[in-house]
Amino acid sequence: MIPGKRRAAVMSFSVVIFGALMLQSVSSQNEPSITASEHTQLPVEGDMFTLQCNLTSAHSLHQESYWMKNGEEIPETRGLNRNTEYKLQKPRGDDAGLYMCVYTFETSPSANATIEVKSAPEITGHKRSENRNEGQRALLYCKSVGYPHPVWTWRKFDNGLYREIDNSSGRFFVSSRDNYTELHIIELDIGQDPGEYSCNATNMIGSREEKSVLRVRSHLAPLWPLLGVLAEIIILIVIIVVYEKRKKPEDLQDDDDPAGPVKTNSTNNHKDKNLRQRNTN
Amino acid sequence: MPPAATTNLGYTPPDGGWGWAVVFGAFISIGFSYAFPKSLTIYFKEIQEYFDISYSQIAWVSSVMLASMYAGGPVSSILVNRYGSRPVVMVGGVMVSAAMVIASFGKTIIHLYLCVGVIGGFGLAFNLQPALTIIGTYFQVKRPMANGLAMTGSPVVLCTLAPLNQFLFDSFGWRGSFLILGSIVLNCCVAGSLMRPVNKNALPKPEAEPSECNGAAAEEAASVPSANLLTEKNQSESKSQGCMEKLVDFSLFRHRGFLIYLVGNVVMFFGFFAPVVFLAPYAKHLGIDEYSAAFLLSIFALVDMFIRPATGLLGNTKWVRPRIQYFFSFAVSYNGVCHLLCPLANGYVGLVIYAVFFGLAFGMVSALLFEVLMDLVGAHRFSSAVGLVTIIECGPVLLGPPLSGALVDYFGDYKYMYYACGVFMLVPGIFFFIMHYFNYKRLDEEQRQAEAVDMRTCEEAMELKTSPDDKTVHETDG
Repeated sequence: MIPGKRRAAVMSFSVVIFGALMLQSVSSQNEPSITASEHTQLPVEGDMFTLQCNLTSAHSLHQESYWMKNGEEIPETRGLNRNTEYKLQKPRGDDAGLYMCVYTFETSPSANATIEVKSAPEITGHKRSENRNEGQRALLYCKSVGYPHPVWTWRKFDNGLYREIDNSSGRFFVSSRDNYTELHIIELDIGQDPGEYSCNATNMIGSREEKSVLRVRSHLAPLWPLLGVLAEIIILIVIIVVYEKRKKPEDLQDDDDPAGPVKTNSTNNHKDKNLRQRNTN
Repeated sequence: MPPAATTNLGYTPPDGGWGWAVVFGAFISIGFSYAFPKSLTIYFKEIQEYFDISYSQIAWVSSVMLASMYAGGPVSSILVNRYGSRPVVMVGGVMVSAAMVIASFGKTIIHLYLCVGVIGGFGLAFNLQPALTIIGTYFQVKRPMANGLAMTGSPVVLCTLAPLNQFLFDSFGWRGSFLILGSIVLNCCVAGSLMRPVNKNALPKPEAEPSECNGAAAEEAASVPSANLLTEKNQSESKSQGCMEKLVDFSLFRHRGFLIYLVGNVVMFFGFFAPVVFLAPYAKHLGIDEYSAAFLLSIFALVDMFIRPATGLLGNTKWVRPRIQYFFSFAVSYNGVCHLLCPLANGYVGLVIYAVFFGLAFGMVSALLFEVLMDLVGAHRFSSAVGLVTIIECGPVLLGPPLSGALVDYFGDYKYMYYACGVFMLVPGIFFFIMHYFNYKRLDEEQRQAEAVDMRTCEEAMELKTSPDDKTVHETDG
């Protein structure tokens, strides 16, 4: 090879290498890096738990930072520091979730880091008892808090054990979404459906369940009280009327009884009759 | 002594005895009439979900029931004038019962409007008027007491029905509850069976207006001839009224006292019920929790329950009875002042104090409401009077709460509604004071004139009697 040409080749080769290295160092300098707290699991010791994010390197000054939980911005967390914190006071089940600290820049896209705060599910709402009539539809539901979102199962207490619900009649419908589940039962059957149902929430940390009682009223249920009250009323009316008829001959003239004879010794009979008619009521 | 107009009964009301059983019957009837529509609101949420309708549509059931109850007043009066209290109350009880039973099988909300609203409302009207009327026939001297006791039925039955309805609803659902309520309402029939028509001939001695005259002329058991003297007067009077009394007595519109009562009441009712309706929402608006807000209503009902008989007792005393209209005017004005001061109450303690005073005021007005009407027009015409009054009051009673609600929505603040209600009650109160002052003066004049006339006729009778001819005495009887 001609010596000049070899030198040129080495030069261009080293320029390429150098350029590649430069590019790499420039691009790695462009990417901001954030150090964040570790993923953690509730419950934690102490009254407070702090999530921390530190913007360790950035090519330009960042604008501001804020926190997000489960994809939604947490209000009043915007700040200007590189080192940003979010404090959880006495963290409980509903504090669990996917947290993200976000740094915004003027000329480049924002950077973020995620911190997972996991916990076992806690069932916060359920219907303790449901009373429905035969043939109507019943709705049992359960709400929970915790992260990750649990898997829901419904079971029925049968013969001393919680079993899977037998849906051979096709009347049971389960709809679950994140932290909420519903069990619909249509065309309630008074023989088979009443009993204890339980909703079970399970995630990778733990599981919980709660019971609900379903009662089905028969169509004929109100009949007994109805007959009872009717009997009481008839007895009372009979007593009152009999008491009145007994007192009648003594000192009473019943205006409502046209057939009854007027028993007075007064010679003013005529006048009294007129008196009665004129002054009605 | 009560004005002369009320003593023309032609007989002495028993003022006791079976009268207290009648008061008990009236207690039940009045209680159901006022408390039943209010207690049905417990079922509204479930019915609303069942028929898939809005809240205002279900609230109409209550409004229709109340409207029918007030509109049925005149019909009730006509029937009472014709047949007496007892049959009307029993028919009313059966009507409400049938309405509830049919409603329990209803398939649409229209069925509920018709059954519970219209038929039920009319049935309750047939309970209310006769119950009030029959008290007037049984009591004269102790009438305010009897009225006060009978009107206590409303809070007592409400306090009983509210938890009972809740229990029935939990056990049987709304359909089963309506069925059972239909049978419970038949207790009105029991109450009606107690309302024995008063025996007008048991006590032959009538109220003697010229008592000195009677004392001189009736040495033997000659109270019967003097009764005839008075009954003749009544007969000639009632002859002219005979046809009119078959239907509604429109001549009441020429009666001074009745007109005063009517005008004042129409204005008053705009502001009467609204504060009760809005007590709990106002409490919640101030940040008080639901149970404490409901407890306010319980305090109100409890105070109301005890103040009604107390007011009746007070109205019966010899200081108040002759001028009972002033007592009523005071009660109405006191209501107004209470509402005007309500916005000053802050916090739960302030509202509790307000609830106590409001309960006092509400109870006083309720206990006296029909007593003063009886006092003005007399027991004869009371039936027609109350019928006319209720149908005319129908408007303000129905419009009052929605108008107040509109005020609250427009201003976003409850205090303007309370000011408005306060004014609506204070103005009639003052109106009553002024008008009754003049009315009493006129009535006293008329009383003096009537007494003068009676003295003259009495003297003539005495002259005839002192003549030794017995035949002449009997001739005056003819």
